Amino acid sequence: MAIHNRDKFLSNLAANLGRPRKTEGVERPEYSVQPQYEVLKGASQDELIDVLEKHCEVIHTDFVRTSKQELPHVVRQTIERYEAKSIIASNDKRNAEYGMDQAYNQFAEELDMHIWDASIGKENQVIAEKADVGISFSDITLAESGTVTLKNDKDNGRSISLMPKSYIAIIPKETLVPRMTQAAKQIHDDHMNGIQTPSSVCFVTGPSNSADIEMNLIVGVHGPVNVTYIVVD
Amino acid sequence: MKVSLFITCVSDIVFADVGKHTVEILERVGCEVDFPAAQTCCGQPAYNSGYLQEAKKSMKQMIKAFKNSEYVVGPSGSCVGMLKEYPHIFKGDPDWEQPAIDLANKSYEITQFLVDVLGVTDLGSTFKGRVTYHPSCHMTRVLGVKDAPQKLLQSVKGIDFVELPVKEDCCGFGGTFSIKNPEISREMVKEKSQHVSETKAEYLVGGDMGCLMNIGGRMRREGKDVKVVHITEILNTHREGGIA
Amino acid sequence: MSVKIGEISYKERIDKGIDNDFMRQAVSSAQGRFRKGRLSQAEELGNWEDWRQLGSEIRTHTLENIDYYLHQLSEQVEKRGGNVFFAQTAEEANEYIENVVKKKQAKKVVKTKSMVTEEIGLNEALEKSGAEVVESDLGEWILQLDEDPPSHIVTPALHKNRQQIRETFADKRGYDKTDSPEELAAFAREQLRQDFLTADVGITGCNFAIAESGAITLVTNEGNAEMVTSLPDTQITVMGMERLVPTWEDMEVLVSLLTRAAVGQKLTSYITAYTGARLEEEIDGPDDYHLVIVDNGRSKILGTEFQSALHCIRCAACINVCPVYRHVGGHAYNSIYPGPIGAVLTPLLDGYDDHKELPYASSLCAACTEACPVKIPLHEQLIRHREIIVEKEKKSPVSEKIMMKGFAQWASNPAAYKLSTKVARTALKPWTKDEFVENGPGPLKGWTDVRDFPAPGKQSFRAWWSERAKGEKQNGNS
Repeated sequence: MAIHNRDKFLSNLAANLGRPRKTEGVERPEYSVQPQYEVLKGASQDELIDVLEKHCEVIHTDFVRTSKQELPHVVRQTIERYEAKSIIASNDKRNAEYGMDQAYNQFAEELDMHIWDASIGKENQVIAEKADVGISFSDITLAESGTVTLKNDKDNGRSISLMPKSYIAIIPKETLVPRMTQAAKQIHDDHMNGIQTPSSVCFVTGPSNSADIEMNLIVGVHGPVNVTYIVVD
Repeated sequence: MKVSLFITCVSDIVFADVGKHTVEILERVGCEVDFPAAQTCCGQPAYNSGYLQEAKKSMKQMIKAFKNSEYVVGPSGSCVGMLKEYPHIFKGDPDWEQPAIDLANKSYEITQFLVDVLGVTDLGSTFKGRVTYHPSCHMTRVLGVKDAPQKLLQSVKGIDFVELPVKEDCCGFGGTFSIKNPEISREMVKEKSQHVSETKAEYLVGGDMGCLMNIGGRMRREGKDVKVVHITEILNTHREGGIA
Repeated sequence: MSVKIGEISYKERIDKGIDNDFMRQAVSSAQGRFRKGRLSQAEELGNWEDWRQLGSEIRTHTLENIDYYLHQLSEQVEKRGGNVFFAQTAEEANEYIENVVKKKQAKKVVKTKSMVTEEIGLNEALEKSGAEVVESDLGEWILQLDEDPPSHIVTPALHKNRQQIRETFADKRGYDKTDSPEELAAFAREQLRQDFLTADVGITGCNFAIAESGAITLVTNEGNAEMVTSLPDTQITVMGMERLVPTWEDMEVLVSLLTRAAVGQKLTSYITAYTGARLEEEIDGPDDYHLVIVDNGRSKILGTEFQSALHCIRCAACINVCPVYRHVGGHAYNSIYPGPIGAVLTPLLDGYDDHKELPYASSLCAACTEACPVKIPLHEQLIRHREIIVEKEKKSPVSEKIMMKGFAQWASNPAAYKLSTKVARTALKPWTKDEFVENGPGPLKGWTDVRDFPAPGKQSFRAWWSERAKGEKQNGNS
């Protein structure tokens, strides 16, 4: 690990700004306005779910709301709808709490079922690339934009939400916040409290898409073609 | 209330009627109008072309001309917008900064003056005809006058007002731009002319003779029969049957 | 490539743009959609001006302290196992990146769309050193196959139609299906998936680097940036030095402004903030990470009247409202940065010699300034450029100089001015017919080539005024 050419580079910037170089003592100013906190201010969790559901239409995402008990069943239905034969899921601590451990065991009897396993290394990516469906939990869910936030780590590779043709996000109701503001603040506060920032934080909003050909919206380019959000009360 | 008319060079030389209508409207609402004869041009042709030193000579002349005025009112959003830039241009100049600020602070475009200063939104005018309005770029975006002209037009009795499609688009005038980049300017004004035709309006109204001269000149070249009139002309009309 | 994209003259570029009906139709309809999207997002928020204000304050603060935040960023990246290289020039940046690629004996490099890598000509440099470089953004991939420069900073292949794209795919990759956008995109997905899986090195640009934690934020809709940052073991981020924010909270605000202003989306499909090399036991992400911070002429802009041009977040809102861009297209600017921001930035980064016409390619209608989500006074900066071209660079035409000298004398001398109001009509008489000039002389020629010019009235306003005053005086005396 190394840093090259820094002093010369930064001293030149300071000189052009007409002052000595700063390496400490800079505070962010109190900005004159903070409109980001006004969006969906004071909305209840249920109101946030309504906003999320409505926005799912805009982002070509299927929305299902269910209970903890019904979750395994709803996941199964979704997999059937996608006619999936192979599945990759994150090795999330919440799998047990939400009954997904059992569900995945059952799926394994009928389908190619793989739970992300750090011990087998790159093989996980190969499996993800071939899988029809990826399943993981949202860590923070942004109602305004219909976004699931995925903090990736050794048990939850980025490939799960990215490489299979379809992606299912399980959204615990309590992960809902008004917008990206609250997610960014949470990660910032964690950082200030000495909690390491994940090596990747993905804000995923529906399936991948492009408008690069004559401005026609094409859903499903490099990432998934289909996305389903399952909100769990 | 004493008001000095800032006629603008274009209206002084080419469109004297715009000045007459402006004077008559101001007098109708009880202003005492004078015309400082030492005024020339706001300096915009030179300023926008990058000739700052040349522009400043004309700007100083304007500052001197209106030194004793209480209010300065002109029939052009663009030219008045230029006066509003003077403080920025003379910033740090010990002799001219304060006079520049003084002039900027007392200068208004005519509809802005009527609505925002005098609180007049209905001049009791009558005008019969199908009218569309082009809100000039400098009037709306530089001077920030968006609502005043519309408010005044809507109060005119008998008017058949129709919105201009994509009205916020520039007409392609841009002062020296129209001469320096005639091909691009042509494409822009062709598009504007097309939008005016879509409204089927008999009259195209605006608050800046530069833009109107551009659009009108193009429409005439295209053989279109749309009359181009400054907003003061509509506001100063009291008869039915439109402009003779 | 570099900032400049070709050798064709300004006049030819303009004519070529204006004559390209397909391109103009495509640009016009894209602008319509972009504009509608941006305005409806602004309306929905209801306090868009506050958002712009906040965006502008964040950018101002960041640029005023850019040395501090770049220092902090580099410390954080190093702490997370990354290497940081500060490159003063394009050559330095390319050389460093080439060395990384060579050291890895990389055969294939896969990239995301990045303006700064276009600017420094990275692809050419890497190809010269023997590596295959694959652009993975759909639009960029199309252009790469067709060896065509981008014409828009968000949708780079905006100037191409589906038939042209189909032909390119057929010629270069043996594509044999229809020109439906869905089929074309599915083909690209299939082809590029293999590239992602086999690439040795991934290279991305950077939308916002977060100084406090060393995270790099990438904003895309296609998901290609996720592929590029997840799969290859070596990863290089190339960032223009100003693409920086102090904290996650600042990033969030600017991303919200970017996606709304660019395409009218609340957020794009993928926004990823990744930090350094992958952590222990992690599988996705690189084990060797490099951040290259590029100056390439930007530092000269600091401390000048153009500093706020560095606030740009590359949303293209100014491009999407510009009527000049609509009629001439992106290539007419002869720069990888087209439109209003391009007309401001290009001469700053690449000098006035090749780009002196750009600041004049604007009617100063200020639609760009109004659209900019971080409040860069773009049209005013174009005037500043013109002042430099006239006064410092002395590159304005002689005829114009004479005209402007004459203007100054005329407008600062009331007697001369008054005289002109008297004689203007007579002076234009030889060219006047039915109260209009249709074929004007001198500077009027450009005007009357495309439209009529009204003849000066029979009486100037000031003549009318003094007659009226006299009349009133007489009436008063009688």
